[in-house]
Amino acid sequence: MSNAAATSAAGGGAARRHVDIVMAGMARRRAAERRFRLYGRIAIGVGLFFLVVLFGSIVSNGYSAFWQTELRLDVKLDASQIDPQGGRDPAILGRADYGGIIKHRLREMFPEVHGRRDRIALYGLVSNGAAFELRARVLANPSLIGQTVSLWVPADDDVDMLMKGKIKRAGPEKDRRLKDNQLRWIDQLKADGRLEKRFNVNFFTRGDSRDPELAGIWGAAVGSFYTLIVTLLLSFPLGVAAAVYLEEFAPRNRWTDLIEVNINNLAAVPSIVFGLLGLAVFINFFGLPRSAPVVGGLVLTLMTLPTIIIASRAALKSVPPSIREAALGVGASPMQAMIYHVLPLAMPGMLTGTIIGMAQALGETAPLLMIGMVAFIADIPRGAFDPATVLPVQIYLWADSPERAYVERTSAAIMVLLAFLIAMNLFAVMMRKRFERRW
Amino acid sequence: MSVPLLVATLLVMSSVAYFFGRRRAFAVAQGRLRSLHSLPAYYGLYVSIWCGLPALLLLGLWVSFEGTIITKLVVGGLPEEIRNLGPDRLNLVVNDIQNLVRGSIVSSKPDAAMRAAAERYASLQSISHAAMFVVAIAIAILAAALTLTRIRPQQRARNAVERILLWTLIASSTLAILTTVGIVLSVLFESIRFFHAVPITEFLFGLDWSPQIAIRADQVGSSGAFGAVPVFAGTLMITLIAMLVAVPVGLMSAIYLSEYASARLRATAKPALEILAGIPTVVYGFFAALIVAPFLRDNGALLGLNIASESALAAGLVMGIMIIPFVSSLSDDVMNAVPQALRDGAYGMGATQAETIRRVIFPAALPGIVGAVLLAVSRAIGETMIVVMAAGLAANLSANPFQAVTTVTVQIVTLLIGDQEFDSPKTLAAFALGLVLFAVTLCLNVIALYIVRRYREQYE
Amino acid sequence: MESQAISMKGNLDEQHDLSRARAAPAPTVSRETRGQTVGELRSQSARMRCTGVNVFYGEKHAVKNVNIDLGNNEVLAMIGPSGCGKTTFLRCLNRMNDTVSGCRVTGEIVMDGKDINARGVDVVPLRAQVSMVFQKPNPFPKSIWENVAFGPRIHGLAQNKVELDEIVVNSLQRAGLWNEVKDRLHEPGTGLSGGQQQRLCIARSIAVHPEVILMDEPCSALDPIATARIEELIDELRENYTICIVTHSMQQAARVSQRTAYFHLGDLIEVGDTKQIFTRPQHQLTEDYITGRFG
Repeated sequence: MSNAAATSAAGGGAARRHVDIVMAGMARRRAAERRFRLYGRIAIGVGLFFLVVLFGSIVSNGYSAFWQTELRLDVKLDASQIDPQGGRDPAILGRADYGGIIKHRLREMFPEVHGRRDRIALYGLVSNGAAFELRARVLANPSLIGQTVSLWVPADDDVDMLMKGKIKRAGPEKDRRLKDNQLRWIDQLKADGRLEKRFNVNFFTRGDSRDPELAGIWGAAVGSFYTLIVTLLLSFPLGVAAAVYLEEFAPRNRWTDLIEVNINNLAAVPSIVFGLLGLAVFINFFGLPRSAPVVGGLVLTLMTLPTIIIASRAALKSVPPSIREAALGVGASPMQAMIYHVLPLAMPGMLTGTIIGMAQALGETAPLLMIGMVAFIADIPRGAFDPATVLPVQIYLWADSPERAYVERTSAAIMVLLAFLIAMNLFAVMMRKRFERRW
Repeated sequence: MSVPLLVATLLVMSSVAYFFGRRRAFAVAQGRLRSLHSLPAYYGLYVSIWCGLPALLLLGLWVSFEGTIITKLVVGGLPEEIRNLGPDRLNLVVNDIQNLVRGSIVSSKPDAAMRAAAERYASLQSISHAAMFVVAIAIAILAAALTLTRIRPQQRARNAVERILLWTLIASSTLAILTTVGIVLSVLFESIRFFHAVPITEFLFGLDWSPQIAIRADQVGSSGAFGAVPVFAGTLMITLIAMLVAVPVGLMSAIYLSEYASARLRATAKPALEILAGIPTVVYGFFAALIVAPFLRDNGALLGLNIASESALAAGLVMGIMIIPFVSSLSDDVMNAVPQALRDGAYGMGATQAETIRRVIFPAALPGIVGAVLLAVSRAIGETMIVVMAAGLAANLSANPFQAVTTVTVQIVTLLIGDQEFDSPKTLAAFALGLVLFAVTLCLNVIALYIVRRYREQYE
Repeated sequence: MESQAISMKGNLDEQHDLSRARAAPAPTVSRETRGQTVGELRSQSARMRCTGVNVFYGEKHAVKNVNIDLGNNEVLAMIGPSGCGKTTFLRCLNRMNDTVSGCRVTGEIVMDGKDINARGVDVVPLRAQVSMVFQKPNPFPKSIWENVAFGPRIHGLAQNKVELDEIVVNSLQRAGLWNEVKDRLHEPGTGLSGGQQQRLCIARSIAVHPEVILMDEPCSALDPIATARIEELIDELRENYTICIVTHSMQQAARVSQRTAYFHLGDLIEVGDTKQIFTRPQHQLTEDYITGRFG
């Protein structure tokens, strides 16, 4: 050992100097290294921070929409008012003045309220939808007529916002949505236990509405469903067929090169351009109906095809050539080898790509605005040709609405949409894990 | 009989034809199956395809053109004064007629002429449907019968079926080209019409953009101005802001995750960042409009800055966030393609990790990273929902990121949403903007994809 | 740490033996001889001294209890069948194995009186002292000049451009590349021929003024003429550096080295004077390898 040290000291005079120079620079270089690493950490931190803020703000704004303030009314269903003839004919039952019954009950509850303006303010505490709910109750069960029923009806969105603490009581009366007398009535109702927050069933079962307290996502969800079904039925077979041709059968020539460049480019074309295509071709040229899921599905098919084709080709590529050779070797035709041996092995990868493509399609908004799916549609669509909207467009519409109550509903709709997307992506990841195969 | 029902019928017929075909193959083989060229199932498939395919194709064509033709016929039969209403009003009338036929709400009280037209529409529709039904079924039966009788043992049924299948595959792959052609044609035609009304030089170089055209001639600004420079400038500014956020953050996080992070951090942070890529753009738009814009406005006010509530900064910032994972995953791929040998070479002579990354890996990966950034730029330019919800409508020509600016995509959406007069320059302008958008993104994509491909080949 | 490694070793050896018994009739080292390398392990003037070096890749015990010296101003050749651990061992000498995840090194490698694996030893100056040339030429995708200047620049070995130029020219001259590239210093290094690229990589290593140069099969990707040129170069470099070269070719080892070490399945079997190893090997395995019974 001493031997070695001695020789290096004696023989490497010049070399020693260089190591010392290197050592002398180390503090600076370590600092640079730490700084660089810090930049990386900051970058990741920034990304994750935005993610957290995004989710945090959506959830904190939106969770309250799953509850809705409702008002308990004990209404007397007077037979003479609802069904004067007593025939229990649904047509007649449907035409009765349920709004009047509710207003009457409100007047009974607050007998001290007089004057037209005060009464209108009182009626304003209850949602316009209350009469419809009462009507639906009676039509479903005519035997209620003649009885006094206790029923929870949605309160107006302003009352709801007040109960959730999203609008303030303070401030000059003329700037407030709720006037002093309304606040007094609300307090009284709350004290009587007639006003409370209950699970917001309407949000999950109804279509769009001009009244926030009655607006739901079911219509948009059904529209999204029909749109996605059309997309899936078209894009999966077409995408797989295109991928199979390009990967297994296509000769390498100008034409297939052109197809390939086209696919790669289409994957990066702005989605709104597909909307322009849909508007000009499907609606103006072929005369397909506006706002219909079938047109939305067609547009989204063209949009998701590149994704599916690229994923399917990767799946086909990962099937080793030995499988094809084995099939060809026992006398199968190339088509048979492909259908019976290659395709089944590539199918999980193709399905994974398709699910991811569908998730993209589910979140897509811009091209659907172009083909009129942005219209206000309150009815639940009953088919792919009915006017409909989809979840992301519904979110856009609500985000544009001025009422304060739509903010939480928008956020809640986003939560539902994200839940669907996360579920689809998780499913794709699980499928990839489950069927992943190393050759 | 409705169309779905007809499709179902044809599908059933086609599957029945399969069994007939197979039985026929057994019959002509007379028990000696080896004398058949193909397996009996292929004869079945052959008949089945001939039974179903032509009829379904015809059905598709029929349905696509039925509406246009019937509308033409009905419009032709309308009274003179309605026909001379001009295309916009006529469209409304046609809409009303169609609604009458469907029995839904109509915008005006139907008069006698309308009622008559609606009846005519309905009768034409039923005639067309009946004819379609008869023709489709007839074709299916005829084709099936014809192929069925021509089955011979020597017939190369498998080859025939496979040929049809191959052509189906080819047709599917051609759809990509058709889509591109469709996009080009649909934006090009309308743009050409637009450039008849507004000179192309004015569109490309004009400094004033106010596309709202008054309905009455005496209103102010009735001519409309279509100088798109402020729109382009706004797009560029928002894109620039987005890139200033996305490129450093995306690049550095890709570097950190691929070179420094422990396996555990990578396994959690990478998917977490990729979630950002999966969030729908409408959510980002809401986030920008509801959270970021007010935050910037209020804090800007504290600092004495006057930030508009629809500032370019808010939209650009949020768009940058959206693009972070895009940049980071692309540059991650690109840097992983740099061979390990180069890293070893640098480490082998005592370079620190940061030096290796900055002086060896990054320069080596630069072409690929440039390609990735170009793709990101293309995506930012074409991004719609964030700017629709968070950027402004007014076309200000300004370099101030705190002001509201508008973008190409915002203008397309606002011009095309709502009541449409399909021939006004206002509507056509949207297609001209679409043409510019498509052309620019196409160039960026093609260049970027070319660079990335060349780069990959270099290290393969 | 040590005892843990040993107890683990026993376990692993069994597995190893099992798999070997199943796989190949390759000759095995009997348990008794393990770690008892035949020949002269130690050098008169050791630049680096390795004692009991073990390397594990996860479960795999890749280098087993190796003791050897790298002498001053000598070329040590390491030979052996592929997978015998010679490259892995070489990469321990400047801790290149740090970059491989799941790799664990035990034992002592002493240089200038310090264990290079000790806590607090910085790999950066170590690698500047013990530089490495790789199997495949790996010039950076930059100009020839930039390639050579890379090391001195990051280590701050030159005060100014003139000094840096001097180092670059000097290194290229010593690597015998100067005459071929002096007119195109600013063209990309990747444009050179394979042999030139490898000499560029050697020049790049020399430019940081290392004391030891490790070479991992530097000629395996080259043609015979380029190989001859590099071998010549190695012989010239011996005057100023300690060189350790891993090679596949016994002829090359015989031509360039003063001492030769023979590795077999992770064991260092025999070390000795090159002439003696190739003419009178002491161990049966060495003899079998040299005479071409396996390898």
